[in-house]
Amino acid sequence: MTTQVFKIADSFKKNVKYTFCPGCDHGVAVRLVAEVIDELGIRENAIVAAAIGCSVTIYDFLNIDALESPHGRAMAVATGIKRAKPDKFVFTYQGDGDFASIGWAESMHAGLRGEKISSICINNTTFGMTGGQLGPTTMMGQVTTTSPTGRNPEYYGYPIKMAEHMALCDGVAYSARVSLDSVPNIRKAKQAIKKAFEVQLQGLGLGFVEILAGCPTNWRMSPAQAHDRVRDEMMQTFKPGVYKDVTADIK
Amino acid sequence: MVVECLTGKKVLMKGNYAIAQAAVLAGCECYFGYPITPQSEIGEYLSGKMQELGRAYVSAESELAAINMVIGACSTGAKAMTSSSSCAVSLMQEGISYACTDELPVVLVSVMRGGPGLGNIYPSQGDYYQSTKGGGNGDYRTIVLAPSTVQECADLTYKAFYLAHKYKNPTILLADGLLGQMMEPVEFKPYPYSEIENSDWALSGAKGREPRIIRSYGPLAEDRCEFLEKLFEKYKAIEENETLWEENDTDDADVVLVSFGSTSRNVNTAAKLLRAKGLKVGTFRPITLFPFPSKRLAELAKRVKMFVSVEVNMGQMIDDVKLAVNGLVPVELVHKGVGAPPDPEDIAAQVEGLL
Amino acid sequence: MEKDFIIAGFGGQGVLLAGEVLANAFMIDDKKVTWYPSYGAEMRGGTVNCTVVMSDDEVSAVQKSKADYIIVLNQASFDKFTSWVRKGGSIIVNSSLANVKKTRDDINYVFVPITQMAQEKLENIKMSNILALGILSKVSGLFSLEILEKALNNVIPAHRKNLIPKNIEALKLGYEYDLFNL
Repeated sequence: MTTQVFKIADSFKKNVKYTFCPGCDHGVAVRLVAEVIDELGIRENAIVAAAIGCSVTIYDFLNIDALESPHGRAMAVATGIKRAKPDKFVFTYQGDGDFASIGWAESMHAGLRGEKISSICINNTTFGMTGGQLGPTTMMGQVTTTSPTGRNPEYYGYPIKMAEHMALCDGVAYSARVSLDSVPNIRKAKQAIKKAFEVQLQGLGLGFVEILAGCPTNWRMSPAQAHDRVRDEMMQTFKPGVYKDVTADIK
Repeated sequence: MVVECLTGKKVLMKGNYAIAQAAVLAGCECYFGYPITPQSEIGEYLSGKMQELGRAYVSAESELAAINMVIGACSTGAKAMTSSSSCAVSLMQEGISYACTDELPVVLVSVMRGGPGLGNIYPSQGDYYQSTKGGGNGDYRTIVLAPSTVQECADLTYKAFYLAHKYKNPTILLADGLLGQMMEPVEFKPYPYSEIENSDWALSGAKGREPRIIRSYGPLAEDRCEFLEKLFEKYKAIEENETLWEENDTDDADVVLVSFGSTSRNVNTAAKLLRAKGLKVGTFRPITLFPFPSKRLAELAKRVKMFVSVEVNMGQMIDDVKLAVNGLVPVELVHKGVGAPPDPEDIAAQVEGLL
Repeated sequence: MEKDFIIAGFGGQGVLLAGEVLANAFMIDDKKVTWYPSYGAEMRGGTVNCTVVMSDDEVSAVQKSKADYIIVLNQASFDKFTSWVRKGGSIIVNSSLANVKKTRDDINYVFVPITQMAQEKLENIKMSNILALGILSKVSGLFSLEILEKALNNVIPAHRKNLIPKNIEALKLGYEYDLFNL
């Protein structure tokens, strides 16, 4: 007798070439999204608004309909899809640069309008695809290719706390920050993604999850070192937690 | 104001309202927009009407967001539109480029005002280049329809939805502040076009089929070349099938006055004034600015002695007239930078001065 | 035949609405017609005007620098538009808010204390614009009161239909004003 201990989600395409860098946490995040889609049974009704940056290849991995948005506009694109077809399950999969830099207006306003959509956003403190430049989440003191002496506030200002900001929008039903640094935290991340999807399905408002993720390539680290940095540095600045959950009040 | 077809009955209405009402009658399911003079009535009318009809209306946070909301809605095959003006249409150029390469049936109503920059709120035709050549990146074309009356504002709105969906290509209704703000009797006939099937491409969830991806990114150079060739074959088909123009008294004309949109109203009268003086003057009005009726102009160039492009800008459409005429005969410009078109008497006098 | 009309006054005097009623009257009479407003960046105050062109053929220019009939409801409009009246044309002047003064001898001046009449006879100065259309009907002879009444029905929204009798009264008051009793 055999026991199945792991199954690749149906929502994950079979035999696809893995195109993320070795040790990149996008792979884990995409897997979690695929598993949640399976568990909620929404694969055949789902449409993802992909974004620009490393996150764009989501449509190469997920076995669902997808529209690639211009840089920063995923939340506007998702709004359009959802308003046209309110019965579809619509979500975005974005990076921090897309969500909180060039697309911040779209992100906040989707939250303020209470769009019935979900958004998963990877925070890796850098613009990954273009080679590790300073982004909206780059931490104080962090050296990047465009902050060679480290981020200092006089020159570069401060990093953005996406989950906290989104929680302030009245139309947001759920906003949380999770981390992929360890197995227990990966499990929590999956729960958060599920919750962010469920609030849409329940028609409660926008669900948002900020995922702290390692970028070993641009951080010039090994995958293990990258996870240490997520835990020891990022999680100190970007505190994991649930910042808003309207269903908690309902209970 | 009710939304119903009023065949045989005329209603006095602003061009902006006629466009908005025609959009509803054309079956527009979603409107996304941000206010800007002189087209705000379109959004104002639709904000109430779409809600009443259970359709979508979103006050977008910017024109950038608005065009991308249209892109999202159109990806599901829905009839969706936005409307804006000049400097704000500039903000939409990225989205238009994406929509062309994504082959999405985006409808954009562009009600021109003075430019460049903030310009002013008076009528203008200064966005001929913006509409027909595009400010977005890469090789693409948008279908551009230019009404000259309030009736045409309605009729060409119908056509914009039809062509956008027929060719899966962004289509611009190019009006101006004069057409948007003026009232004229208009009759709303039923939407005259067939509905276009979209179930073979629209995003609807991958139920019982392979997932669909609508994207503009093509990693391979060879694939991209092939895609662009196909895209331009489509533009060629649009040119062959959809080119529209109106011409008057060109049979014996020595001089043909070429103009589009609201300017054509005054040009028609100017031509009559010149005819009354015994001058053989005809008029030519492109209704589709892309595809531009170049072939017909080239035919006329074989026997006409001079073309005069009359525009409310510093001379933009004249480039396309010159390309069509290809040096056979002179092409002159009569123009005014911004505002209502020059008086027919002014146009006539200036044309006479060119002879 | 083409006839051009301009109606001008302060913002709030119902200038654009009067033009819309006039244009509707011509539409009902199967004429070709356009209405075109002056529009500025300001939402309130300032002067406002609109041009109505009536024609047997398609209307070409919708904005005019000359007109056959001009209604001016205040002094500023009187000052600006007197020179716009075509030779032989008429200017209807609201003498309640403009000085009775003739500067041209090639046009027809019609001075009527429009605001005062609206206040005294209708107890509503907001009726000045419609009262002026009654005068225009008489002066131009180009459209009847009956057609204006139908036009009012087109323009006044359903939830304001109770205002129609008062507006008809205003039209009649203007039409019946003794133009020679000046």
